[in-house]
Amino acid sequence: MTSPELVPLLPVQGRILDAQLHLLDRQVLDHDGVPVTTVDDLELSGPALGEEIPQGTPAPVLDALLTGPVLGTRIFGGRPPSSRLIRIHWKDVADVGVVVRLGVGGEGLDASWVERWVRDKIIARIPGGRHDPR
Amino acid sequence: MKRILGVALGILTAIGGFVDIGDLVTNAVVGSRFGLSLVWVVAVGVVGICLFANMSGRVAAASGRATFEVIRERLGPRAGLANLSASFLINLMTVTAEIGGVALALQLASSVHYLLWIPVAAVAVWLVIWRVKFSIMENVTGLLGLTLIVFAVALFLLKPDWGVLAGQALAPAVPAEETAPTYWYYAIALFGAAMTPYEVFFFSSGAVEEGWTVKDLVQSRINVLVGFPLGGLLSVAIAGCAAVVLLPAGISVTSLSQVILPVAEGAGKLGLAFVLVGVVAATFGAALETTLSSGYTLAQFFGWSWGKFRRPVQAARFHLSMIICLLVGIGVLATGVDPVLVTEYSVVFSAIALPLTYLPILIVSNDPQYMGKHVNGRAVNVLALAYLVVILVASVAAIPLMIVTGAGA
Amino acid sequence: MPDTPATAPRQVLILGFASLAIVLAGCSGGVSESVATAAQDSSSAVATARIALRQDMDGKLTRAATSTTLDDALKEVDTSRSTVLKLSAATREDRDIQRQALEVLERCAAGLTAARAAVAADDGGTAPSTADADRALAAAEDALQQLEDKVAGK
Repeated sequence: MTSPELVPLLPVQGRILDAQLHLLDRQVLDHDGVPVTTVDDLELSGPALGEEIPQGTPAPVLDALLTGPVLGTRIFGGRPPSSRLIRIHWKDVADVGVVVRLGVGGEGLDASWVERWVRDKIIARIPGGRHDPR
Repeated sequence: MKRILGVALGILTAIGGFVDIGDLVTNAVVGSRFGLSLVWVVAVGVVGICLFANMSGRVAAASGRATFEVIRERLGPRAGLANLSASFLINLMTVTAEIGGVALALQLASSVHYLLWIPVAAVAVWLVIWRVKFSIMENVTGLLGLTLIVFAVALFLLKPDWGVLAGQALAPAVPAEETAPTYWYYAIALFGAAMTPYEVFFFSSGAVEEGWTVKDLVQSRINVLVGFPLGGLLSVAIAGCAAVVLLPAGISVTSLSQVILPVAEGAGKLGLAFVLVGVVAATFGAALETTLSSGYTLAQFFGWSWGKFRRPVQAARFHLSMIICLLVGIGVLATGVDPVLVTEYSVVFSAIALPLTYLPILIVSNDPQYMGKHVNGRAVNVLALAYLVVILVASVAAIPLMIVTGAGA
Repeated sequence: MPDTPATAPRQVLILGFASLAIVLAGCSGGVSESVATAAQDSSSAVATARIALRQDMDGKLTRAATSTTLDDALKEVDTSRSTVLKLSAATREDRDIQRQALEVLERCAAGLTAARAAVAADDGGTAPSTADADRALAAAEDALQQLEDKVAGK
């Protein structure tokens, strides 16, 4: 992927993350430690596939973690249209360890709309759904 | 004092929680057909589950990660999904078998047909999962399950010829009426019953539920290392009872009513009462564990919020998936399929699926990124690799043996 | 994407094939072989019923447990009976065996039904007594044994 013509990013302080090893398929937690989703795929900025790469293009950067239907296409092939991608922006990521921690609450994220829908339409309507088991 | 009580409680629930419908049926079937000549498999299985449960408990405590999160991270989405599908389906089969087991035991207690008990049992399972605190759920079913000790009591009251039993156990041989493939088929079934993979999903997720830290590992190790072998002895007692009463009468077990006859023979109506309470508690407890396990596996694979320690609204998809699993279980049983037959297949398929969960756990428990300094020791790894071979052989041999023997007929 | 180990998908495939193979294996077998299996299953069921009856008479078993055990035994015999009924016997010999097996299994079912009635009856009046039912089952057991011997002699 990395061709020699690309301008390298400026050297910065930090850790080297391997997308495959440290990001993909890792659990994503919000700032309260509540699971949000799993990293199903990644979105990189930069030239589209198969396009001629002109001299001097900056190296692609990680824009967002992807989730949702993109898992199906990652397993079985293909690519959903960009409008169908559910993104968690990289700037919301606070820390990458054994899990990926976000600096924001999970409640407002696009990634948790299914959870919210199931909660509001089904689980919250069953008596005792808000009961604290402890 | 409180600490000792805690340890005692943990051990007792581990014993009571060890036996489920798979152990009950498989041990009774084996005892009635092969005597005690397959006891060695229970021993191999118990050591295996101790090793395996210990590793997954340690992974959960050291890294805070439960089995299926780890499986997906390690195997990637494709193999992870295949693994999830197989494990989930087998687990669903076990849920079905356990609910059927509760219903069959209630029929024995009440003579009301088991099909009528199935919705009752399933709703009760759901209510407990919906409302009851995790530790209470575990302790109550575990302690009530202890009444299954009546199998051991009955075995003593039956005054068997201990020499003959010991001979069968210590010098295993295929009985004259049975063939070698059938013997090995049931060996695999028994192995699968003792090492059911759901116990591992459940054990590791339960560790997260109860918020284990590395400090709790000693307690969990004692529970496992003392409780499971004693649970294994219960399994042997079930087989022993069948070997003493049913084998000489030429009965091969095909229903739950036959499993409890030896207890009534040895310990009368009181024994019967105990065994029925025990069977209901053990199968009900296992129904809870397997239903939770199906929620755990799905939620962990897809990264949903999960756990009984959260309010249901805070783990909505987790709770919804368990409700759906219970409904599917009711639907399958409503077709009139024999729960005992479902059980017999579920233990064999469990044996087939064992490598799917065992291998990733073994890999991760050696990974310092997850485990820090709590990676496997050398002795554990040597034993674990030996078991990996056993598990792979059992897994590969199960299907051919199933075909050759007509599923043990 | 790491190159995924092929074991997991293969396992799923195997599961599929296995269930197919089980179904196929269940449909084959000759008449005397199937009758032998049916006789074995039924004699196991009848023996169970006799133990349950004896325990019931000794006061070791509750009525609910006895009647459930008898129901299970009857179900087992019924299953055997329908398997034998479905057999297609080509030769005269096979037809003989099939007919004889059906007669014997009929006796087993009758014995079990009598036992159920005896256990269910409260009054001890018109219903057959438990001892009668046990004698009927003992006779059925003998008949099953003869059938097994005959089939095994082939």
